[in-house]
Amino acid sequence: MSHGFELEPALAPGTMRPKNAVVAALAKGLNVLNALVLRISMVALLGASGVLTYSVVTRYFLKSATDWQDEVAVFLLVGATFMTTAHVQSLRGHVGIEAFANLLPPFVNRARLFLVDIISALFCSFFSWKSWTLFYEAWSEGQTTSSSFAPPLWIPYSLMAVGMSVLTLQLFLQTLVRVTGGEVQKEKK
Amino acid sequence: MSELGIGLSYGAATLLVMFSGMPIAFALGTVAAAFMYFFMPASSLDTVAQNVYEEMASITLLAIPLFILKGAAIGRSRAGKDLYSAIHAWLHKVPGGLGIANVFACALFAAMAGSSPATCSAIGSAGIPEMRRRGYSPGFAAGIIAAGGTLGILLPPSVVMILYAVAAEQSLGRLFLAGIGPGILMVSLFAGYAVMKARQEYKAALVIYQNGGPKSAYLEKEHFTLAQKVEMLPRVLPFLILLLGVMVALYGGLATPSETAGLGGLLALGLVAVVYGLWRPKDLAPILGATLKESTMLMLIIGMSLLYSYVMSHLHISQGAAQWIVGMALSKWVLLAVVLVMVIVLGFFLPPVSIILMTAPIILPPLKAAGFDLIWFGVVMTIVMEMGLIHPPVGLNIFVIKNVAPDIPLKDVIWGVMPFVALMFLAVFLLCAFPGIATGLPNMVMGVK
Repeated sequence: MSHGFELEPALAPGTMRPKNAVVAALAKGLNVLNALVLRISMVALLGASGVLTYSVVTRYFLKSATDWQDEVAVFLLVGATFMTTAHVQSLRGHVGIEAFANLLPPFVNRARLFLVDIISALFCSFFSWKSWTLFYEAWSEGQTTSSSFAPPLWIPYSLMAVGMSVLTLQLFLQTLVRVTGGEVQKEKK
Repeated sequence: MSELGIGLSYGAATLLVMFSGMPIAFALGTVAAAFMYFFMPASSLDTVAQNVYEEMASITLLAIPLFILKGAAIGRSRAGKDLYSAIHAWLHKVPGGLGIANVFACALFAAMAGSSPATCSAIGSAGIPEMRRRGYSPGFAAGIIAAGGTLGILLPPSVVMILYAVAAEQSLGRLFLAGIGPGILMVSLFAGYAVMKARQEYKAALVIYQNGGPKSAYLEKEHFTLAQKVEMLPRVLPFLILLLGVMVALYGGLATPSETAGLGGLLALGLVAVVYGLWRPKDLAPILGATLKESTMLMLIIGMSLLYSYVMSHLHISQGAAQWIVGMALSKWVLLAVVLVMVIVLGFFLPPVSIILMTAPIILPPLKAAGFDLIWFGVVMTIVMEMGLIHPPVGLNIFVIKNVAPDIPLKDVIWGVMPFVALMFLAVFLLCAFPGIATGLPNMVMGVK
């Protein structure tokens, strides 16, 4: 399909072993949360496939048009995407360009990785904040989509806000682990 | 700051942040948000999350996770090995048939799974040992699989083409159809080269043997009975029916691309459950988990790329760059060559999704002004990006092959893929000379635009 996104993640699950007890407890909590969310998202993925298949079946076999399936599928898939983004980050699965990583001295590389994590975490904090604002407006103003089905927009916005907030936590946690020690880096092949 | 200054700063900041190693999605988002802060009204920052959501909540784009699900279901089963074994058994009497079998198996698997690395891994793990056992040189065997795998982003349903259709505002159905002719052309070119090279190696092995040297496996005859050949079909036919079913659903007007993706995903899961007994939660969890990992990463890159493009457009960077390119008054073909070289260079570092979404606003207006059909260009651009999968320094398929056959030296793999890169260039030249190879089928099925 493409280069980059089918590569195995750089970190295998469970290879982050924080040395600091508080950080370790936080990491364990986030791992449990990510594992739970991953399972729910798997069901959402199957649900989206089912909804779209149902739409074809009802239209062609039962001759009855539905107006809700596209939006339900969008909500399920957007939700699954945002909710699992922290899990993907826990595996360092969001790919970046590491072309110059091997050319830099180790201490420069460490500083680079620290900065990368901090800036990523700050950006995701900002994005989470704006997502929560969006959610609040949609909730308080009763915003809906413009279709005849008109589902409330707070549903996908809340999934985006929660997912990005957990991603932010994951990034700050990984930064903390980098500072306090305990990240076992498994190099990409 | 002038538009030019802002544009240059935007480019420089992007390069700096990307090459820092920051994940591509966060890098694009960070640069876009920073330029919104400095150069756009303060209120625009409030719309960051809404922009990303609105771009991602497109039912066409959301076909991507479902096509990935279909590919993951097929890719994680034994379907690839069975497909390869069946084609090999049926083609073994054809001269160079083993090479052709590998190319055909790659093309069919790529069309079912839609993933180049998954194709390399599934077909290569069976095909490379078999080709080497039959005397094929390691580099040649590796080259066939690495190149065959690239067909995954050209043959429908291709994720890269979905993105191009969205970015270029072109019909996805027409674009999928446009990939079929060039796909067949490339399969023919690859198969032709495989036959030629196999015969060359066969002759060399024969000369060595006739001069008293060791007898190569090339010179051994292989035989499959009709019963053996027929026995292999039941495991393969359901997947071929799935492939055809998806195409019929899409082009027979039964389903939209996203519905086809949902239907294809469920059918693929059903097939691996029935044919390979993969139906328990512990069997399905790796398929669903792999789908979510890949699609989440991809969708986040897509969402942030679209935010990046929005900022580029709002600050008139893309329009300015496009006008600058038009103003250079390059001839039509020089313009195309410059654009394709840029795509090749970007392919050294970036995945096709980012290349398409970041460059489309800049390169498509001049190409359209020069009279190029954007459906045709989408196919050409996809072939050029396919090259990025097999040429150094970061050709992903090369590294997948190294995983499948770790004893083949990297140098041999690289030399093995080079003739196929040349064949891809040849395919691009043929498409330039005969654009109908790409546009003929969509014009025939869907009418001339």
